[in-house]
Amino acid sequence: MDSALIPKGANRCSFPTFAVGIAVAAVFVLWGVYAMGLCWLKGLNQTNMNDYYGFALWIWADLAVIAIGGGAFFTGLLKYVFGIDELKNIINLAVVIGFICYSSALLILAIDIGQPLRGWFIFWHANVHSMLTEVAFCLSLYFSVLTIEFLPLILENRKIDKIPFFHNLSHNMHGIMAVFAATGAFLSCFHQGSLGGVAGVLYARPFAFREGLLVWPWTFFLFTWSAAAYGPCFTLTILKIFEKVTKKKLVKDSVVYTLAKISGWMITTYLIAKIIDTFYWAFVTAPAAGFKMMDFYSNNGFYGIWILIAELVIGGIVPAAILIKKDWREKPKLLVTAIVLATLGVCINRWVMVLQVMAPPVMPFDTWALYYPSWQEVATSVLPVAYAVILISLAYRYLPVFPQEKELNPE
Amino acid sequence: MKIDRRSFLGLGLGAVAGVTVSPVTWKLTDDSSIWTQNWPWTPVPKDGKVTFDKTVCSLCDGNCGISVRKIAGRPVKIEGTEDYPVNQGGVCLHGLSALQYLYDPTRITGPMAKKGDTWQEISWDEALKQVCENLNKLRQDKEPEKLACMSKTDKGTIPGLFKRFLMACGSNNFVTMESMKDTWKLVISRMHNMNGVPGFDLENADCILSFGSGLIEGWGAPVHNFKVNASRKERGALLFQVEPRLSNTAASADQWIPARPGTEADLALGICSVMITGNLYDSLFVAGLGSGFEQFAKYVTTKYSPARTAEITGVKAEKIEAIAKAFARSKTGVAIAGRGRGENAGSLREFSAVHALNCLKGNINKKGGVWIVLEEDFAGWPAVDMDDTASRGFAVRRLDQAGSSKFPDIKSSASNFFAQINAGSTPPVKTLFVYEANPCYAMKDTKAVREAVKKIPFVVSFSSFMDETAQMADLILPSHMFLERMEDLPGSAMMPQKIVGLSKPVIDPVFNTKNPGDTIIMMAKAMGGAIAESFPWKGYDACLESVAGELWKSLSKKGYVLQKENSPEIQPFVDFACSALTSDRIAAQGDDSFSVTLIPYDHVKIAAGKLQSSPFAVKTVSDKVLKNNDGFIEINPVTAEKLNLSQGDYAALSTPKGKAKVKVHLSEGIMPGVAAMAAGLGHTGENRYVAGKGINVNELLGPVKDSGSGLDAAFGIKAKISRA
Amino acid sequence: MKQEHNDKKAHKYGMVIDLDKCTGCGSCMVACMSENNVPFKENETDKKDSITWMRVYKLTNGKPFPDTEVCYLPRPCMHCGGKGDHGHSPCVSVCPAVATDYDHSTGIVSQIYTRCFGCRYCMAACPYHARYFNWWDPKWPGEMEKYLSPDVSPRMRGVVEKCSFCIHRYQAARDRVYYEGREVIEENEYQTACTQACPAGAITFGDLNNPDHKVHQLVKPDPHKAGKPREPKAFRLLERLGTNPKVYYLSEREWVRKAGDNYLEGEWKKAGKNHNDGHE
Ligand SMILES: Nc1nc2c(c(=O)[nH]1)N[C@H]1C(S)=C(S)[C@@H](COP(=O)(O)OP(=O)(O)OC[C@H]3O[C@@H](n4cnc5c(=O)[nH]c(N)nc54)[C@H](O)[C@@H]3O)O[C@H]1N2
Ligand SMILES: Nc1nc2c(c(=O)[nH]1)N[C@H]1C(S)=C(S)[C@@H](COP(=O)(O)OP(=O)(O)OC[C@H]3O[C@@H](n4cnc5c(=O)[nH]c(N)nc54)[C@H](O)[C@@H]3O)O[C@H]1N2
Ligand code: SF4
Ligand code: SF4
Ligand code: SF4
Ligand code: SF4
Ligand code: SF4
Repeated sequence: MDSALIPKGANRCSFPTFAVGIAVAAVFVLWGVYAMGLCWLKGLNQTNMNDYYGFALWIWADLAVIAIGGGAFFTGLLKYVFGIDELKNIINLAVVIGFICYSSALLILAIDIGQPLRGWFIFWHANVHSMLTEVAFCLSLYFSVLTIEFLPLILENRKIDKIPFFHNLSHNMHGIMAVFAATGAFLSCFHQGSLGGVAGVLYARPFAFREGLLVWPWTFFLFTWSAAAYGPCFTLTILKIFEKVTKKKLVKDSVVYTLAKISGWMITTYLIAKIIDTFYWAFVTAPAAGFKMMDFYSNNGFYGIWILIAELVIGGIVPAAILIKKDWREKPKLLVTAIVLATLGVCINRWVMVLQVMAPPVMPFDTWALYYPSWQEVATSVLPVAYAVILISLAYRYLPVFPQEKELNPE
Repeated sequence: MKIDRRSFLGLGLGAVAGVTVSPVTWKLTDDSSIWTQNWPWTPVPKDGKVTFDKTVCSLCDGNCGISVRKIAGRPVKIEGTEDYPVNQGGVCLHGLSALQYLYDPTRITGPMAKKGDTWQEISWDEALKQVCENLNKLRQDKEPEKLACMSKTDKGTIPGLFKRFLMACGSNNFVTMESMKDTWKLVISRMHNMNGVPGFDLENADCILSFGSGLIEGWGAPVHNFKVNASRKERGALLFQVEPRLSNTAASADQWIPARPGTEADLALGICSVMITGNLYDSLFVAGLGSGFEQFAKYVTTKYSPARTAEITGVKAEKIEAIAKAFARSKTGVAIAGRGRGENAGSLREFSAVHALNCLKGNINKKGGVWIVLEEDFAGWPAVDMDDTASRGFAVRRLDQAGSSKFPDIKSSASNFFAQINAGSTPPVKTLFVYEANPCYAMKDTKAVREAVKKIPFVVSFSSFMDETAQMADLILPSHMFLERMEDLPGSAMMPQKIVGLSKPVIDPVFNTKNPGDTIIMMAKAMGGAIAESFPWKGYDACLESVAGELWKSLSKKGYVLQKENSPEIQPFVDFACSALTSDRIAAQGDDSFSVTLIPYDHVKIAAGKLQSSPFAVKTVSDKVLKNNDGFIEINPVTAEKLNLSQGDYAALSTPKGKAKVKVHLSEGIMPGVAAMAAGLGHTGENRYVAGKGINVNELLGPVKDSGSGLDAAFGIKAKISRA
Repeated sequence: MKQEHNDKKAHKYGMVIDLDKCTGCGSCMVACMSENNVPFKENETDKKDSITWMRVYKLTNGKPFPDTEVCYLPRPCMHCGGKGDHGHSPCVSVCPAVATDYDHSTGIVSQIYTRCFGCRYCMAACPYHARYFNWWDPKWPGEMEKYLSPDVSPRMRGVVEKCSFCIHRYQAARDRVYYEGREVIEENEYQTACTQACPAGAITFGDLNNPDHKVHQLVKPDPHKAGKPREPKAFRLLERLGTNPKVYYLSEREWVRKAGDNYLEGEWKKAGKNHNDGHE
C-alpha cells in the first residue's frame, strides 16, 4: 500500500500492522494532548506543583530527555569533528532521537510556563545572567540545527529523492553537515551546561549550589560531560529495542562496540569528576552553609542515601565498568544491562538535580516538601514518549535510517 | 498557470517563509501576549480621588479607631487611627478585613421571610407588618412577656432601643450573651459592694499575673492590650501567663505557667497563701479597709500551702513561691481573669480568688492597678410610656431568673434563659428578637440551644449576615454592618478609661438594609399607641443626638469622647470573706471513663462568638489548626503516646455532649492529659470561605452552672479520644 | 546647596523586626493582603499554594513541656542584595526575562507581573519561599472586587508575585516630595502597610543607609560586610548563604538567633563569639 515510500530493498511489516501500532501510540498522544489542553486552558492548577515545587516532573523530563538526547550531538561530534567515520552507521538514529528529544523538551517547556503566550519574552527581554536564558537560546538554536541535520535524511525518502531539486539539496547538505554538526556540538555543550547551571547557580539552595569556574558552576561542566557520556547509551538502548522489535540486526556490532566503549570511558571520566564534586560539595560547599551531607538524605525514605548510590554506583560505576571492559561489553546481555542502567543513572541524576533540590528545607524552621505528579503531568510527559514512538517508527519505515540494514539483512 | 507538484511545494515553502517574516505573525504574537496582560477577567480597579474617613470598629468590643481609605468614595483599605486612645494606630486582622465583611456575598441583602424551608425577599413594609401582627397578638393575649430579645450587650443606644421597645411592649426579658464582664461585675459588687466593672490599668502595671486571659487572643480591648504587651519590654513589666496551653499570650509572656485546667482559683489562693504567710501583702490597705481578712487568711494558709497547691494545680511549689514573690515585689502588680477572650462568664470562685490578689496588693483605684469603673449610662432616655398590658407584662419575673431571689445580683443569664425554654413543654417565649448575637453557634451545647430556638414560634433576626441563628429565624430584618451605620460605642473592654466611640457610615448601604436603631423606631411607630409615643424620634440619628445630650457635640466632632476617669481615687472597702471561700469549685463535666480534658481555646486569628472569620483571617490560620475541612485537637506527645496517636492522625473525639472526627496535632506546648481545640471554626451556612471548616467546639461542650452566679462557668469538658 | 541631611542618593530600604515584641497576631499578614490586593481562595490550608507575601512562622525551642518556648517570625520578601550586596539577589539573577529586578536606587526587588511568564525559576532560587505563583485566576466573590485598590494591579493567573516593600507607597511619597519641591523622602513618609498595621510596633522600616533612620540605629549595618548587623542581638535569616537580606531580626533569646541560620555542631558557639567581636 505504501510500498512506494519504503526504502528500496527494505523489509517492513504490512501497513495495517503498522497502522495499528501507530494507533495505539496515538491514543497516548491524544491523552497527552487533552491534558496539555487542560493545562493551557485552566492553568497550572491542573498540576500537583506548588510554591515549593515550582520545578517538578516536567523540568525533570526536560533535563532527562535532553541528557539522553545528547547522543545526537556527541555522535555528531565524534563523526564529523573527530572523524570516527564508522559512526555514520548510527548517526541517523542519533539525529532522529535528538530531534525527538529536543522537540519534546520545547513542547514540555511550553506547557510548563504559566503564561505560554508570553514565552517569547525569554528572548525579547533576555537576562544574560540567567541560565534559563542561555538554555532557551541554545536549545532553540540547537533544535534548528537538529532540524537541519534531520532534513537530509527526510530528503532521502525514495519518493522525495526522485525530485531533482531535493536530491541535489540533500547532496549539498551532506557536504556541509560537518559545519552544522560542529555548530550543534558547540551549542549543545552550552545548553547542556546551562541546564546543569540552572540548579548549580542557586547559591541560596545548598543542595544544588556548586562552586565553579567563572560564571559557570561545576554542574555546568558535569551536565555537558554526562550528556555526552550517557547520551550514546540511550541511542544504543533505542537501537537494541529496534532490533528486538524488528527482529533484525540493523547496525554492525563493531559500530555498537565502538560507541559503547567511548561511552564507557566518558562515563568513567565523568564519574571521577562527579565523585570529586560530590565530595567537595558534601564536605566543603554545603558545610559552609551550615549543612551536613546527611541533612539532605535522612528525612524520608524517598530521598534517602540510596538515591545517591543508585545514581553513582548502579547507574554509573556498574555500567561504566561493563562498557570499558571488552569482554563484558561484547556480551549482549551485559551490554544491554549497562546501557539501560546508564540511561537510568543519568535520569536519576537529573531528577535529583531538579526535584531533590526543592525537597529539603533551607530555613531551619521550615519543613521538607514532597511531591508526586498529577495525572495531567504524567499524561503530558507520556505524550512525548508516544510521539517519539510514532515519529521514530515513521522514520524507520520510510527513511533509510540504518545504512547497514540492507547489508545485514540480505533478502 | 498550471500548478504542478514542484511549484506547489515551492509555493508552500514560500508561504511558510512569508508567514514567518510577515508582520502579521509578529503582530499576532505581540497581541496575544498583550491580551494575557489584560485578561478581561482579571479586574482593573478604578482610580480616583483618595480620601480618608475616620470611624470606630465594632467587630469586637475593643472599638478601635479606624481610618478608611477610599478611592472615589469606594473604601479600599482599613487602617488604624494614630491618635485614637484605644489602639493608637494599630488594628487587628479582623478589623483589617472589615471590607470583606462589607462585601461578604453571604450578607443578607434585604428583609426576608421564611416560607417553609426557603427564604423569600419581602419589602420592609411587609416585614414590619409581620412583626406588628405577631406582637399585637401577644399583647392581645396578655402575654407580652413572651417576647424576648437576645443581644450581645446592653451597652449603647441601639441595645438601649431594643430594651426600651421590649419595655414598651411589656417584656422584661432582655437577655445578653454572657461574658467575663458579668462575673467581674459580681466580684466587684460582692467584694466591694459597688456597682461597677473593673478597669485594669495594664498600661502602667509593672507585673501582670494573668489567669488564662488572652491579652493577645483578644481579651478586653485587643489592640490596646497588644500595645500594652509590646511596651512591657521597655517598661520592664513582667507578664506571667497561667494556662494549660502555650497560647500566643503565653509565648510572649516572661513565664508560661501551665496549671491544670480548672485549678486557676486554687493557684491564685496558693499565691495568696504565700503572700500572707510571708507577710508580703499591703497590710495597711488590708487592715484599713478589709473585712473578713482573718477568715480568709486562715482558710488559704491552711488549705493552700505551696505543696498542697502544687499537688492540685501541677505547678511546682517553688514556682508558686517565686511567682508570689515577684508579684509581691512589684510596685503595681495586677491579677486578671477571664479565659481567652473572656467570651464566657467563668467561675465566680476563680475571679474572686484572682481579685483577692489585687486586694492583697492593695492595688485598687491606683495608677497601674484596678480601677472600679462605675456603671453609668451616658444616654439620657426619656421615660417609657407603658400601657396596662405593658406594665403587667414587664412585672412578670424574668425567664432566666436573673434578679430573682435565686440570682439576685446578675442582670441576665443567657444559659439559664435557654435552659428554661428547654425545661417546659410549652414554650415560655413566643417571639424572640436576636440582635448582634449568634447563640446557636456561640453558646455551649449548641444542639440544646438550637432546640430551644426551634421551640420558639417566631424568631426575628436583625443580623447582617446569614449566621447560624439567622438561618433558624422566621424573619430577618437585616442591619447595616458597622461601616454603613451610625452608632455610639461605649467602651466596655476592661480599660480604666471610659471611652465612648462614634461609629459613622463611611459608605452608602451596599444592600437593602437598615440601621437597627431605625428598624426599632419604625417598628414602634408601626405598633402605634403608647409604644409609638415612647419612640418620638424621627429616626435613629435624631434619637442618638437627643439622648446623647451634651456629649453629642464633642462626640460628633471628635469621633469619640474620653470621659474623665470617673472613679474616685479612694480606696474601697474590701470583703475578703468573699465568694472565693464559699462558691462552687467548677469541675469538668464527665465521669472517669473520659480520660482527657478538652478545653476550647481562643485564637487571635480566628473570630469567635457572633463574628465569623473573614476569608483573609482564615487564610492566616495554621495548617496545624485547620487542614482542608478538618479541625485539629492539640495534645502533648505524652498524651498521644498513651492514646497511640501520632502527628496528623485522625481521631474520634467524644464528650458527654457530642462526637467529632478530628485530626491530631502534637505539641510540647500543652499539658499532658489536656486536649485543646480552637474556637470559632465549624460554621454552617453558605460562606464557602469559612463554613464547613473544622469543628464548632461548642457542639462538644456543655454549660456548667455556677450556683454562686447562675452563669455558665464551664472551662472545658471530659473527653475520650481514640484512633479513628 | 549643601545637604543638611544624611539622605544618600542610593537608598537601601529595609526592615527590622523585633521578635521579642511580635506576638504572632497576623495583622501584618492581613494588612499586606488588603493593601496589595492579594487574592484568596476557598481552601487556603495548603500552605504550599497559599499566597501570603508576609507570612508568620511559628518557631519552637525544641524543648519538651513545660520548658517549651515559642517565637513568631514574620517573613516578608528579604529584598536580598545578593552576594556582595551588588543586586544579584538569588531570584533576580536567575529570572530569564528580567521580570524581577533589583532597583539600585532603593534596594527593592521588584516584580513585574506583565513581564513575568511564569517559569518559576525565581521561586526555586529563593530559600525563604517569599515568592508565590498564581496557580489560579484570582477571584473576588460577589461585590468584593469593589474593595480592590488601584495602587497595586491585581495579578493574572500564571505569574509570580511577592512582597514589594509596598513600592507604590514609595512612589507616592516620591511624587509628593517632588511635587512639593522637596528633596528628601522623610522617614515617616514611606512606611509599609505591615509596619503601619503592626499593633505591637514590632516592625520598623526605613533607609538602612541613613544613620538618622531608626532601622539603621537598631541594627548598625556594617557597610564593609554587605550590611551585616553590628548589633549583637540582630541577625538576618540565612546570613551564611550570602543572600544579604534587607530584613533584620532582633531577639534577646539566643535560641531564636540560632534558629535564623543553619549551623553544624559546635559552630554556633564559635559564630556567637565572632559575632560579638565585630561589635563597636
Ligand atoms: N495627569 C496625568 N496623567 C497622565 C500623564 C500625565 O503626564 N499626567 N501621563 C500619561 C502617560 S504618558 C503615561 S505612560 C501614563 C502612566 O500611567 P501608569 O501606567 O498608571 O503609571 P504609574 O502611575 O507611574 O505606574 C503604574 C502602577 O505601577 C506600579 N508599579 C511600579 N513598579 C511596579 C512593579 O515593579 N511591578 C508592578 N506590578 N507594578 C509596579 C505603580 O505602583 C503604579 O500603581 O499616565 C498617563 N496619564
Ligand atoms: N520623572 C519622571 N520622568 C518621566 C516619567 C515619569 O513618570 N517621571 N514618565 C516618562 C514617560 S512615560 C513619558 S511619556 C515621558 C513624557 O515626557 P514628555 O514627552 O516630555 O511629556 P510632557 O512633559 O507631557 O511634555 C510634552 C511637551 O509638549 C507640549 N505640548 C502639549 N501639547 C502640544 C501640542 O499639541 N503640540 C506641541 N508641539 N506640543 C505640545 C507640552 O507643553 C510639553 O512641553 O516622560 C518620561 N519621564
Ligand atoms: S480589636 Fe476589635 S475593634 Fe479593634 S480592630 Fe480588631 S475587631 Fe475591630
Ligand atoms: S503584626 Fe506585628 S506582632 Fe502581629 S504578627 Fe505581625 S509583626 Fe508580629
Ligand atoms: S527573599 Fe527571595 S524573593 Fe525576596 S529578594 Fe530574596 S531571593 Fe528574592
Ligand atoms: S517566574 Fe517570572 S519572575 Fe520568576 S523567573 Fe520566571 S519570568 Fe522571572
Ligand atoms: S512591606 Fe508591604 S508588601 Fe511587603 S509584606 Fe509588608 S505590607 Fe506586604
